[in-house]
Amino acid sequence: MNKTRKIIVIKRPDGFCIQFDAMASACEVIAETDDEFLANKIGKAVSEEVWRIEDKYSRYNPQSLCSKINQSRGKPIAIDDETFALLNFADTCFQLSDGVFDLTSGVLRNVWRFDCSDNIPSHGAIVKEMKNIGWRKVEYNDTEIFLPKDMEIDFGGIGKEYAVDRALLLIKTLTNQPVLVNLGGDLATNAARKNGEPWQVGVEHPGFIDKKTMVVSLYKGALATSGDAKRFLLKNGKRYSHILNAKTGWPIENAPRSITVSAPQCIQAGLLATLAQMQGCNAEQFLSEQEIKHWAIR
Amino acid sequence: MQLVGGEKINGTANKINLKLVLTLATSALLGSTQTGATPIPSDTTTEESWSFDSAFLYYSEADRVSAAEVIFSAKKTYNDDSILNLKLTIDALTGASANGAVAQPNVQTFTRPSGKGNYNVKTGDTPLDDTFKDTRVQLNGQWSQVLAQNFTSSVGAHLSKEYDYLSLGVNGNLAYDFNKKNSTISFGLSHFQDTFSPEGGIPKPFASMPLAYGQYNGNGNGNNSRETIHDATRMGSDDDKTTSDIMVGFTQVINRRMVTQFNYSYSVVDGYLTDPFKVLSLVDTSGIAQDYLYENRPDKRTKQSVFAQTKYHFDETILDVSYRYMWDDWKIESHTLDTRLYIPLGEGSYLEPHLRLYQQTAAEYYQPFLMQGEALPEFASADYRIGEMTAYTVGLKYGVKLDGGNDLSFRLEYYRQDSESAGHKAPGVLANLALYESVDAIIAQVSYSF
Repeated sequence: MNKTRKIIVIKRPDGFCIQFDAMASACEVIAETDDEFLANKIGKAVSEEVWRIEDKYSRYNPQSLCSKINQSRGKPIAIDDETFALLNFADTCFQLSDGVFDLTSGVLRNVWRFDCSDNIPSHGAIVKEMKNIGWRKVEYNDTEIFLPKDMEIDFGGIGKEYAVDRALLLIKTLTNQPVLVNLGGDLATNAARKNGEPWQVGVEHPGFIDKKTMVVSLYKGALATSGDAKRFLLKNGKRYSHILNAKTGWPIENAPRSITVSAPQCIQAGLLATLAQMQGCNAEQFLSEQEIKHWAIR
Repeated sequence: MQLVGGEKINGTANKINLKLVLTLATSALLGSTQTGATPIPSDTTTEESWSFDSAFLYYSEADRVSAAEVIFSAKKTYNDDSILNLKLTIDALTGASANGAVAQPNVQTFTRPSGKGNYNVKTGDTPLDDTFKDTRVQLNGQWSQVLAQNFTSSVGAHLSKEYDYLSLGVNGNLAYDFNKKNSTISFGLSHFQDTFSPEGGIPKPFASMPLAYGQYNGNGNGNNSRETIHDATRMGSDDDKTTSDIMVGFTQVINRRMVTQFNYSYSVVDGYLTDPFKVLSLVDTSGIAQDYLYENRPDKRTKQSVFAQTKYHFDETILDVSYRYMWDDWKIESHTLDTRLYIPLGEGSYLEPHLRLYQQTAAEYYQPFLMQGEALPEFASADYRIGEMTAYTVGLKYGVKLDGGNDLSFRLEYYRQDSESAGHKAPGVLANLALYESVDAIIAQVSYSF
């Protein structure tokens, strides 16, 4: 990527805030420490790790492993242990969702453009793209992946949450002072704040002009949000959310506009939020029955 | 797990499954990425912990020796990659072992090694000494440490104690990695000091097996004179031997799937190498045993061996093939071919078929019996273990990963050994008797790692 990458370190009364841009989001690390050297070290480690994951798994970066796999035209591509583990995780997501969550469903973007318009694709166009979807057609082992021609994979559904968890692992090796990592709304923390208070996190929904920022409290663990604040289609009064069902090629109906889930790890929270959205009108009930803490906006 | 988009989900089972499955999947993801991603410093992520292996092995030869063995080993890996390995082995041996004499067309009577009491062998049977009973306790300790970048050293100590045997040993090994750790050269030394104090003492070479004493209570004079005769056939109560080994090895990673290893070892054994319990039949021209003489072996043996091993990792299975060629100055040459195939069955379980082929030529002083009237050789032994033979082992191992992550495995093997004539003519009655018996054995093992 040609973008210049930089981090900004800001001193605050109770510590330091490190800001940087990654994965098309505003990212910040809040460290409750007086040690500026440590804060810089944390900021550098976290930003480099997040950029590393972006460079490796972004489908927008033509140099990424993800792009290499997508351009492989049916030839096997060598993968490392990390990618193998991510593919295994995606496989679990596929099975847990009974095929609704599918790493290969990204090609639906070719027909579904969630630009707040009324551009609903034709049935035929969707059927055509559905031929290139199907996680079961992907073969992989611990050393290589084989993706059939014309298919694509997209780590967008789990990449950011994974980066949050990786950042937390790195932070735990550097300090046990309270630190919070927030990558564009997907976030996690290693410990409660020094004053014993929970972290107050504003979950922004830039699309909802009439709603105030929702503030949620978090002592420890992670939060992830699945929402379609700016990404939806509206036709004949019917709202089509950007959460697509990989089995049908159509958006999930009657899903909440946004749902925020808390879990020990960010990648769990992210998947639970997505799984909940896939329940449509039963999203909140689904999470309540699983006894999972959540905040939904309809 | 049913979780179809838009459909109602409920039930406690689903709830438990979803959280559990997600937790497992997450720990697999975040726990296994250290290699591909930025390394996480080891001082905070790894704990110094012990791991344990235990095994129970049962070995049984048809009509002969059976052995039960318990192995317990503990391993501790320290944060600086030093490894401490401790291993305790206890085995109990019972049964009968060939005493070296040939089968006869009549009942044979032998004196027990202690000199007190005797045992009879049926017509036509290979004479077996059924007094075989021993318990062995073995302790091994090994310490491995990285000395400098690319240099790893290891030192170890060994203690083995049986009722009539004590073995003490030390070893040291130095390995050097180069070529981006794709190549390793290693150099090792070991030294063992063994003391043998067999029941009944050490017999003199080629002494006649004396008559038993102590079995006729009340006949004091007879007993005393027989004991005196027995003692006259002995040259002491114990003897010892030393074993020194030098080993050089080379390991090469060929590619992602293949690794090969070559070893050469040179070994000198010095001291008492004779088996005090083994005799040779002294037969006349008609093949009838006239006497039993204790065997005698050289007091030095120089062994050399070369060993090559290749492991090849196919997509799923792993093939492990090794070959060893051993030769010594007793003129024994042996070839060993060993093959294992590791077949994963999913969820941590696997099958491992095993095939081993072995062939050995006889020691130059091996002979199945001695001829009356011929001059005694300098050395002679009728021990089938240094005679000409072929053997094979076929087996299957099944391993499974238990819920707690511990490994359990079962191994069942069949061993067959066929002794062959090294060209010795069998006179008279011996022509119709089995001089070279086969040994069949079953090996069963259960191992548990935790």
